[in-house]
Amino acid sequence: MSRRKMFLRMITASLLRRRSRMLVALLSIAIGAAILSGLVTIYYDVPRQMQAQFRSYGANVLLVPSEGAEMTLEGAGKALEGIPADQLLGRTPYRYVNVQMVRNQQTFVAAGTDFEQVKTTSPYFTVEGEYPSGIRQILVGKSVADTLGLKVGSVAELSYRPAASGSETGAAEIKPGDTLAGSAEGFGQGPVYVTLTLDDEMKIAEITVDVSSQTEEFGGQCGEEFFTRRFLGKSLPLQEGEIDAVSGATVTSEALVSAVNSARPTENVTAVTGNTLNLRVTGILETGGKEEGYIFMSLEDLGVLTGENGRLDVMELSVSAGAEELAGYVDALNGSGSGVAARLVKRITNSETAVLGKLQSLVFLVTAVVLLLTMICVSTTMMAVVTERRKEIGLRKALGASDGSIRTEFLGEGMFLGMLGGLLGAVLGFGFAQIISVNVFGGSITLQPLLVPVTMIVSMAISALSCLLPIRNAVAIDPALVLKGE
Amino acid sequence: MSLLELKNVSKIYGELKALDNVNIHVDQGEWVAIMGPSGSGKSTMMNIIGCMDKPSLGEVLLDGVDISKESSRKLTDIRRDKIGLVFQQFHMVNYLTAVENVMVSQYYHSMPDEKEALDALELVGLRERAHHLPSQLSGGEQQRVCVARALINHPELILADEPTGNLDETNENIVLNLFSQLHKEGTTLIVVTHDPEVAEAAQRTIVLEHGRVAREVVNESFELGRKYI
Repeated sequence: MSRRKMFLRMITASLLRRRSRMLVALLSIAIGAAILSGLVTIYYDVPRQMQAQFRSYGANVLLVPSEGAEMTLEGAGKALEGIPADQLLGRTPYRYVNVQMVRNQQTFVAAGTDFEQVKTTSPYFTVEGEYPSGIRQILVGKSVADTLGLKVGSVAELSYRPAASGSETGAAEIKPGDTLAGSAEGFGQGPVYVTLTLDDEMKIAEITVDVSSQTEEFGGQCGEEFFTRRFLGKSLPLQEGEIDAVSGATVTSEALVSAVNSARPTENVTAVTGNTLNLRVTGILETGGKEEGYIFMSLEDLGVLTGENGRLDVMELSVSAGAEELAGYVDALNGSGSGVAARLVKRITNSETAVLGKLQSLVFLVTAVVLLLTMICVSTTMMAVVTERRKEIGLRKALGASDGSIRTEFLGEGMFLGMLGGLLGAVLGFGFAQIISVNVFGGSITLQPLLVPVTMIVSMAISALSCLLPIRNAVAIDPALVLKGE
Repeated sequence: MSLLELKNVSKIYGELKALDNVNIHVDQGEWVAIMGPSGSGKSTMMNIIGCMDKPSLGEVLLDGVDISKESSRKLTDIRRDKIGLVFQQFHMVNYLTAVENVMVSQYYHSMPDEKEALDALELVGLRERAHHLPSQLSGGEQQRVCVARALINHPELILADEPTGNLDETNENIVLNLFSQLHKEGTTLIVVTHDPEVAEAAQRTIVLEHGRVAREVVNESFELGRKYI
């Protein structure tokens, strides 16, 4: 029999025939390993779990037409082929136009969209009544409904007014003292409107702008007084560069300039032209945001109303991916040359990253503490084992065991325990992670096969480390101990 | 030819002289008993002869080599190679079977050999009990296993500390018979005891008192009738 075989025989005998003591050590290692592997599993699984949760915050990527290009449903669909279907949770197209309520000539923003997709990218929308599910149905924002006294079941008659571009509308003489109105395509989400009054010298005396269709943080600034003031006292038409653009809102600024230049006496513009549709209100939308001022209808209805189909202003995407992966998709979309530009909704992605980071560092911290506790526990048990076996160690030394042999035997025992405990712990840990995952995140996890050997190796290393102090004590035992009678 | 020689050996703990200028010699193949009351220095001498302690003064020649100045690592090697130990409390590894306990000694010495270990158990009449745990063996049986363990590596010297102290008369006789047999085969035996009967089984008795050799007695009965085989 080789020495190694005898070594293994002694170790297994020690573990198997001294069950109760070893069971305690084994259990402490197994529990430590279980928590360890469980937490590591969660550590790596949390981002995946949380991404699903985060999607309830709404869209995290916006798709808009790239400069000078038009975006269509088909074109956007083609551009999105690079994102796996299971990650692309929602894609909601929007087209914004200005419509008029026939009854009182009031203007509202109408958004054409796909209601099935709205539910995925804006899950926080609260609808009183129901989402439209057929043709000639609309969802109206709460403030629209309040203004117009619309209720679920009411019928609204809407008409479409093409964005005026003076020349088309038939030019009318502009005289001193006239009130003019104009509009132009703004940035992405829709048109901008200006109403201005001229003084006796044909200079702008008063101006009001409507940029409610623009992104609040950017184009929205153009609605503020510090910017509109820049138009006052200027003669028509404005020259290029005459009005300093708001930084970060160049497109909207320029749109307002062209709206001013295209402005015509109001009576020419307010005339209702184009199609008129009767639409039934199926639901009233409450969001607490600017959507409450919109009228939502299907893209098909909007197409009928405006007489043109397919063109989109924006597409909201809900993509389940980590921050880096998401940035990768955005770069790919921007580089694809498919006529669309993508940008991250930073507000969402940044907070996702922050929350994930905090969760992961919490798990990391707990893991470190558990590791430490396990080490203390194993070390204490091994210490007790050494104390309990003082006689045996003395005997072994008396029989000629060198310090090295004693060290090897205890380390061997500790690591063997670590291996068994690690294996047991990996199994328990998976169960533990599964329970946490199901109860906290509401989804199950998949077993990472690599985690089993890794847990075993880590447990072995930790047991070995915990054994160092007890082993030092064991080596220090005097063999003469066995000669003393009791 | 002397196997073991203690020359002017003293062991001093502070004021206390556990051994005080002791001179003894043991020949190759001799069976010697060491007797003395508690505190006479038996244990200290046993530790020194067993390479588990070093004298404060004097020389200890084992097989011609002075072991009094060796490092403890070297002493471990010498103990392993030349000495077989038998203890009063038996001292078996309690989770190993009889044969495994014998093999532990082989493991530290050279190569474990189960067949050889079983042969040694055969010699002490425990071949049938080879796969029993210590808890399943009687005290006498355990001590016989320990004798088998002590002789498995063919040591030059078997050093026994009160080997029969915890045994009844029947088992005492069995163990002494085993010693007798080993003696006949030429093994040197040093038996520390306070039992005159056990001491009488040896060829010569060295009596210690207050750390000194009080007297040496040659047991005439040894050569005459043999009580033990």
